[in-house]
Amino acid sequence: MSVTAAGLRDRLQNGELRGLLVAPIVLFDLLVFVVPFGYLLRISLTERTQRGAFVEGSWSIEAFQYVLSTPTLIDSFLFTLWFAAGVTALSLGISLLYAYAIWRAAGGLRVALLGGVLVSMLTAIVVKLFAVQQLFAPNGVINQGILATGVIQEPLALINSAAGAVIGQLYIVVPYSVLAIYSVLSSVDESLLDAARDLGAGRLRAVVEVIIPHTIPGLIVAGVISFTWSVGSFAAPLLAGSSAERTTGIAISDLLQQNFDWAAAAAMGLLVATTVFVALAVTYGLLSYTGGGTDG
Amino acid sequence: MGNTDRALRWLFRAGYGTVFLLLVAPVVVVTATSLSATTAVTFPPTDLSFRWYTTLFTQRVWMQAVQNSLLTAGGTAVFSTGLGVAGALGARHLSDRSQIAVSGLVLVPLLVPGVVLGVSLLIFFSRFGLQQRLSTIVLAHALWATPLTFSVMRATFSRFDWQLQEAAMDLGASRLRAFREVVVPNTVSGLVAAAAIAFVVSLQEFIMALFLSGRETRTIPVESWFALRGSLSPLVSVASTLLVGAVVLTLIIAATAIGLERVADDT
Repeated sequence: MSVTAAGLRDRLQNGELRGLLVAPIVLFDLLVFVVPFGYLLRISLTERTQRGAFVEGSWSIEAFQYVLSTPTLIDSFLFTLWFAAGVTALSLGISLLYAYAIWRAAGGLRVALLGGVLVSMLTAIVVKLFAVQQLFAPNGVINQGILATGVIQEPLALINSAAGAVIGQLYIVVPYSVLAIYSVLSSVDESLLDAARDLGAGRLRAVVEVIIPHTIPGLIVAGVISFTWSVGSFAAPLLAGSSAERTTGIAISDLLQQNFDWAAAAAMGLLVATTVFVALAVTYGLLSYTGGGTDG
Repeated sequence: MGNTDRALRWLFRAGYGTVFLLLVAPVVVVTATSLSATTAVTFPPTDLSFRWYTTLFTQRVWMQAVQNSLLTAGGTAVFSTGLGVAGALGARHLSDRSQIAVSGLVLVPLLVPGVVLGVSLLIFFSRFGLQQRLSTIVLAHALWATPLTFSVMRATFSRFDWQLQEAAMDLGASRLRAFREVVVPNTVSGLVAAAAIAFVVSLQEFIMALFLSGRETRTIPVESWFALRGSLSPLVSVASTLLVGAVVLTLIIAATAIGLERVADDT
């Protein structure tokens, strides 16, 4: 025993076992991520019960059957996919416009526009949603501003509605989306734009045909951020949406804490995780495809 | 220049101008409403006062939340930075394939929605009767903070000239002493940045904290969440303003330690 301990100390002293320093981080992720996730999978395969959260030691696919045959849960899953797709489309449009503006701006304006993104990233989600409630309320500054222009007669339902849920979620994803696009755009040579215009392309056509193709890797990353975060959305639809915007995240939380149906909550959680991983796998495929395409 | 071009340009300016205003609006709104002189949360506020700031400091629940947030964020910073430093040092000595496997494992939790992680950890920790504790919230936050500290430290160590350590050892320093006196002083800026980023991640996170906390262990974002769902008072604005302030302060510390550009690059 003492021989091996001394030998071990020698090897440590000589730095042969330095690779072992990854052990704590690996152990941490195994114990706090992989094992709990495996446990979630195990719980999703137990029998559901009225008495208690799940039936210990039982095996059943009842929870998955329940999730896939309950209309409210299917509806919430389908709604979440639509919601995530809509948020992603809007996020890409807004972020592309804004990232392009940062790219074209110079000096102080560029710093200010980048600063705006940074400020938003440093504002906690709860804080942003709280502000959304104030800003977009029927008597908030935005509705009052639009009313004053005379375009509308009644305040728009910008919170406690589907629009509110989308606005809230955009507040969460857009800053990250902008940075993803800008980081790619910043390496594109601005003279490309001038060249296209010298050759007679209009401003819009130059951007669409010359600049956007260069930003595709950034757009893909921005898209995956927007989509995966929205698939797991919980806070924005709950605080800025109405009761009609029930995402899977909200459904899981209700199953867990109100119905105390852990098996079904676990099954639903795995459904969300699977959706995210499928989206990531598809993106990874796309990324390596376009990555190969733009190299040439 | 054609008329359509000019119109397009103004439309473009109006577009990014609006996005800019919307991005910075939340901070303006919470700061302004935190200075409300009345019990109403109205933007823009009519009269200004600091009365809600003084009120916050007399409220037990909010003081508890401030304390919980600081403990959680501090714990997460120390824990994830420790894991990140050790992991980054170790990863240098692994084969390429093992390095990719370790990075992959460390990175995956960042891609899993907070709701799923929260549910998974709540079910798991409940099994051992460990729910509603700050330590479990720290572990949860470390799942998101560790990938960032790990990558910051890997970038930091890859910039360090390891021959300096060899030189110190050739001059008779033990491995540990060479590390303490040569490696640490030269990489301390990366260390500070990693800890600050972990601190900020924990300070802002609330979905996992919402699932894992109990009445006594709510952090500022969780307490604000419950306040938002109940009756609204300018106290939420005060707590939010303090939260934003704490985040900005932490990142200023990180930025001066490492240079802002590298904070963005390394993460």
